[in-house]
Amino acid sequence: MANQSIPDTPLFDRNGSIRGYRINKMAMSLGQAANREAFKADEEAYLDRFGLTEEEKKAVMSRDWHEMVRLGGNLFFILKISAIDPTPITRIGAAQAGMSHEDFLYHRLGKRAAHG
Amino acid sequence: MAKIIGGLGTSHVPSIGAALDKGLRDTPDWKPFFDGYEAGKEWVREAKPDIAVVVFNDHGNTFFLDRVPTFAVGVADSYNPVDEGWGPRAIPPFEGATEFAWHFVDKLVERHFDPLVCREIEVDHGMQVPMELFFGRPEKWPVKVVPIWVNTIQYPIPTPQRCWEMGKVLREAIESWPTDERVVVLGTGGLSHQLQGARAGFINQDADRAWLDGIAANPEHYRNMTREDYVEQFGSEGAELIMWLVMRAAMNEKVDLVHKHYYAPASMTGAGMVVLENAA
Repeated sequence: MANQSIPDTPLFDRNGSIRGYRINKMAMSLGQAANREAFKADEEAYLDRFGLTEEEKKAVMSRDWHEMVRLGGNLFFILKISAIDPTPITRIGAAQAGMSHEDFLYHRLGKRAAHG
Repeated sequence: MAKIIGGLGTSHVPSIGAALDKGLRDTPDWKPFFDGYEAGKEWVREAKPDIAVVVFNDHGNTFFLDRVPTFAVGVADSYNPVDEGWGPRAIPPFEGATEFAWHFVDKLVERHFDPLVCREIEVDHGMQVPMELFFGRPEKWPVKVVPIWVNTIQYPIPTPQRCWEMGKVLREAIESWPTDERVVVLGTGGLSHQLQGARAGFINQDADRAWLDGIAANPEHYRNMTREDYVEQFGSEGAELIMWLVMRAAMNEKVDLVHKHYYAPASMTGAGMVVLENAA
């Protein structure tokens, strides 16, 4: 399948998988409670254990969801980072779309209540 | 011989399980969603299946990118819920239909499929949530299960046609299984949603509603669509819908659409279900 054939819709293909391997492997490890504790205790040291680049570390430590995906992070893995300091998936979606959370709920998901 | 008593299609959004865990079932956001499943739960109670075959994808919880099986089949005695980062959920383990699962694996390989065969493995919300939606929250699940994992995360994902072919083998396996067990097949995933890229939050309610009717009456249409068509119409993660084709292909060419339900959005997803019975 050719990637980028559908606008604004990146498919997680071999390029993403290779590029995002370190971030995704680190995120996958957060499925274990002991690793979550180590992450919380010293986040940067934890990221160093997985060999993240400075760019990748910055994206993770600033919880920049758009940047993590740009660097090859796959949502399903990096959602485990969002469980560390609970972040609703709709906020992560809004960051992907480049919209405010409220606009995202209203315009993309059709949540009329969001605008009262 | 064993018998297919029905086919269920459903979303498996993780927020559904979280909503149940947090006691949000009857809140305004969730009540219409859950109420629409009551007819499906009632159907399952009356149909009394012995085995549930659940077709779903892992979401980076059980399989990492170090090894990505296109299709995997569970032959384990038991499946625990996997920790998805929030701690393990307080739901009972699933008992495996071990002997039937091995028989299915035999049939698959005879028919030139090459599944990964899993003897010890945990299951994520892709299987948990459909079971909760149709079986509720029992202390012990009233059925044994056969999990079938389909890779829908890393491309290349399998073609819709291949999912269809697997469903044909599943039917053959059920109909050649020398017990009187009653089997229900669950195809899960979707409906439209997209979590990544600038089109995140994409929901296509028209396509979703057409799917719920079309999967019953006109599955040929969906079987012949390309993976690109799925991504375009249903969003990058909405392409999970190809897994419903495994269920649909295991059913008769003609089916009765006994129940259907649609609600959007459940979290970021168009969500719903169908209950299908074989027509004479």
